[in-house]
Amino acid sequence: MAQAEITKEEINAVYPVVAATVADALGCDAEDVKLDVSLIEGLDAESIDFLDLVFRLERAFKVKIPRGKIVEDARGDLPEADFEHKGIVTDAGMERLRSFLSEVPADRIKAPLKVAEVPRLFTAETFCKLVVRSQKTAG
Amino acid sequence: MDSGLSGKTVIVTGGSRGIGRAIVERFAHDGANVTFFYKGNAAAAEEVLASVHAAGQNVAADQVDVTDAAACAAGVERVVERCAQIDVLVNNAGVIRDNLLALLEPEDVQTVLDTNVGGVFNVTRAVAPHMISKRAGKIINVSSVSGEKGGRGQTNYAASKGAINALTRALAVELASRRITVNAVAPGVIETEMSQPIRDLAGDEVKSRILLRRFGKPEEIAHAVWFLASGFADYITGQVLTVDGGFKME
Repeated sequence: MAQAEITKEEINAVYPVVAATVADALGCDAEDVKLDVSLIEGLDAESIDFLDLVFRLERAFKVKIPRGKIVEDARGDLPEADFEHKGIVTDAGMERLRSFLSEVPADRIKAPLKVAEVPRLFTAETFCKLVVRSQKTAG
Repeated sequence: MDSGLSGKTVIVTGGSRGIGRAIVERFAHDGANVTFFYKGNAAAAEEVLASVHAAGQNVAADQVDVTDAAACAAGVERVVERCAQIDVLVNNAGVIRDNLLALLEPEDVQTVLDTNVGGVFNVTRAVAPHMISKRAGKIINVSSVSGEKGGRGQTNYAASKGAINALTRALAVELASRRITVNAVAPGVIETEMSQPIRDLAGDEVKSRILLRRFGKPEEIAHAVWFLASGFADYITGQVLTVDGGFKME
């Protein structure tokens, strides 16, 4: 899967700007934006903040990030019907998420998980990886 | 007190004629940097530009079809490139295709919904991220009394304006935490090209149902929009301000 191609060096290269961007978007200190911090549970982000954050990351890195890109990439070639059923992530979907969001501790990805709650899992590193993938796509 | 609009960046859709033109001129008069979108009437757009430029005002025109989401996004980006931000969005573009329900062609319904509702979605979706990032902004949607009161031959138009009112209230909830206000102005019968057919057909009868016994002027709608965009309305959001001279519909 795509994230397997992302190295620690690539993540570290974008992390300072991602951290500063997250701090700007959420109105917190950049030093509080650790790689493993959950944006919603750790930094009190709301869903609307993700829209703002992605918008700011697009401008900071001059990349285009389609809305819903993280979940879409996590799903990969798995058909939507196999990824979720009635709004709940399926077992196959959970497997994809655990693999794709490898930066998220496995005990945080627990069933039953609503698709709408997937963003609760996102950490600063999730967005670093999103930026790196977008740079690779663009480049 | 100052309106606070001098130097602000304003986008007005459907700004080349009627109410839209009056809104453009109202904001330009206050020293705002105004860009208006128009669909295809370049001559009308040029006329507006000639008029405001003669007065030394800062107005630009851009041909953008609000039913085209990509064109809206590109148009908004052009404004941001030029002005760096967007402070006020006035969703004014609208069309009318009145007829009795049984006589409406499918495209009469689709065109009205695509322009009047789809257009608001398209432009607002392009503008909102800029306002969210700035944690400030004013969005004013031009609705109609038809959105609240029934009118014969206006099922499609009424549905579109009712949708705008509902959108206004829902978006106000969504964006309030980012200090963005969202309101609507609902004009009654205003002296524009768009209302000419109804005024020609039943002018006296319609006027008899207006408490103030006259049709409104585009400038009177522009004043209401201007008020909602100004600092005077910082504590108003999710509202539909009716400006109709006291219009009683059937």
